[in-house]
Amino acid sequence: MVEFSSSLNLFLATAATLVAIGVYGFIVGPEPLRRIVALNIISAGIFMLMVVLAYRSAGPDAVSTLADPVLHALVLTGLVVAVSATAFALALLARLGKTTADRPEEPGP
Amino acid sequence: MMILLLVLPLAAALLMLLWPRIAPLLALFSAAVCSFLALQLLLQVSEQGTRYWLLAGWPSGLAIAWQADTLSCLLILLTAVLQLLVGFYAFATRARDKLSQGFWPLSSLLQLSLTALWLSRDLFNLYVCLELLALVAVALVSLSGRKAIKPALNYLLLSLFGSLCYLLGVVLLYGAYGRLDIAGLVSQWQPNLLTNSALLLMSLGLMLKAALWPLHGWLPAAHAAAPAPVSALLSALVVKGPLFILCLLWLQLASTEQAQAMAPLFAGAGLAALLFGGWSALRTPFAKNLVAYSTVAQLGYATLALGLMLKFDQPLIFAALWLFVLAHALAKAACFLAIGEMSGTLGGKRLTTLKGASQTMPLAMFAFAVAGGSLIGLPPSGGFLAKWALLQGLWLQEQQLFWPLALVLATLLSAAYVFRVVVLAFDRADPVAPDFSPQVLPQWLALLPALAVWAMALFSEPLLLLLRLEAL
Repeated sequence: MVEFSSSLNLFLATAATLVAIGVYGFIVGPEPLRRIVALNIISAGIFMLMVVLAYRSAGPDAVSTLADPVLHALVLTGLVVAVSATAFALALLARLGKTTADRPEEPGP
Repeated sequence: MMILLLVLPLAAALLMLLWPRIAPLLALFSAAVCSFLALQLLLQVSEQGTRYWLLAGWPSGLAIAWQADTLSCLLILLTAVLQLLVGFYAFATRARDKLSQGFWPLSSLLQLSLTALWLSRDLFNLYVCLELLALVAVALVSLSGRKAIKPALNYLLLSLFGSLCYLLGVVLLYGAYGRLDIAGLVSQWQPNLLTNSALLLMSLGLMLKAALWPLHGWLPAAHAAAPAPVSALLSALVVKGPLFILCLLWLQLASTEQAQAMAPLFAGAGLAALLFGGWSALRTPFAKNLVAYSTVAQLGYATLALGLMLKFDQPLIFAALWLFVLAHALAKAACFLAIGEMSGTLGGKRLTTLKGASQTMPLAMFAFAVAGGSLIGLPPSGGFLAKWALLQGLWLQEQQLFWPLALVLATLLSAAYVFRVVVLAFDRADPVAPDFSPQVLPQWLALLPALAVWAMALFSEPLLLLLRLEAL
């Protein structure tokens, strides 16, 4: 199984905390902007987990300290996806703000 | 051929952005060519067996693994054909409905992301496809103007949350095994705490995205707010993408004990979706919401079949699962197009505007009734075929009385909400007058998938054979 050097535990704990904060914010916050920020915090946590996992070694006697390049490539892809999704969500939110400013009360669906 | 299936929609979408004037023609052309190619691929694969690709010539384990089996090919064909049909409908009604120009490139991108999703067998690649699919779907919902923005934003946020859950599961698996392709993971799979939690996280995310009960809350608002051709695409195809990945995870990746433990949960969720979705469809005052709730209910059949498949491991139930998906895709496309056509012409979103529709718009009403027949499962439709396969699979197991009875109850509920519309349409005493004379072509286009789902019964034997082989 996977072995970690103990110095990485701190990073792992940080990643877990970030995910937890994000999930809490997403579930509690009713405002869309807050939820978008919460989603970004979750993805920051997951990306951090990926970056840390790249430094795992395959076994107790493996001496390789090279980072796993696949995970770094995945983080890059994930970042691109996250940035575009956030941009889209913010654009929708801006549109929503504009329409509710035009017509304060919406009748029914 | 496989390359062209992906490159053509992408190139068409980019060309449409550069040259919006000919966008509809380009979209129809690319959908038509893709349908033809998909048919070729299906014939080829069913003759010569499953095909595998490792993208860009990387060695196995590093490369993105793609696989075209008969199920994938069938789904690609379904996607392309529905895209073509809905494209024709959108083209025929473009003057009346004032559909935004954005529809054409987005629908091509939708086809691209779905085709890639059906082919991919790599967990991270599936994540990218899912995310692309969700972004395109939300953009399509938001096309119908200001009222759709709020449901679209809600859909986007929940869908992003679902993707992140899925991604976390993928990362955990990669951290443990250092592989992303499903075939490679299966060979090293061990049931332990880590794989349990990764599977559960991924399932949570996928269930949220596929709107499986109890995570279906966003679907009726989003699907009802979208324009008619978009709702048809969303209900028929988009929710099936995450369902496909869910099946890959539980049927291929999970060990037998894990699958057995999860089976009652899926079966229970499916049953609850059938009952609650059916009940909500019976109660809602809006025509499109009724069809959207019916999607929630019908997805319940697929979830139920997945649960029973995990429990009994019976190829017939697997075939039933995908027959449900195919029949529902065709029937729901017909329902949404027919309802969209009727509420567009009769002018109103409420169900009561359909009063006397059998007199004013007989073709569209016929399309809805015929598609509804398949949703209920009347013989000899696609829905009947799926239900029959499921029941037969259950009868082959010993002493299963509870599930057939539950299916009967669910069938009665779906009959109730379909007849709710039909009864209203045959109330000819004082029909709602149409705002303008009904167009004939869009009504025929709504009727086509409804007829196709009944024609599925004619091909029942090869379909069952193909899908049963896939399960082994």
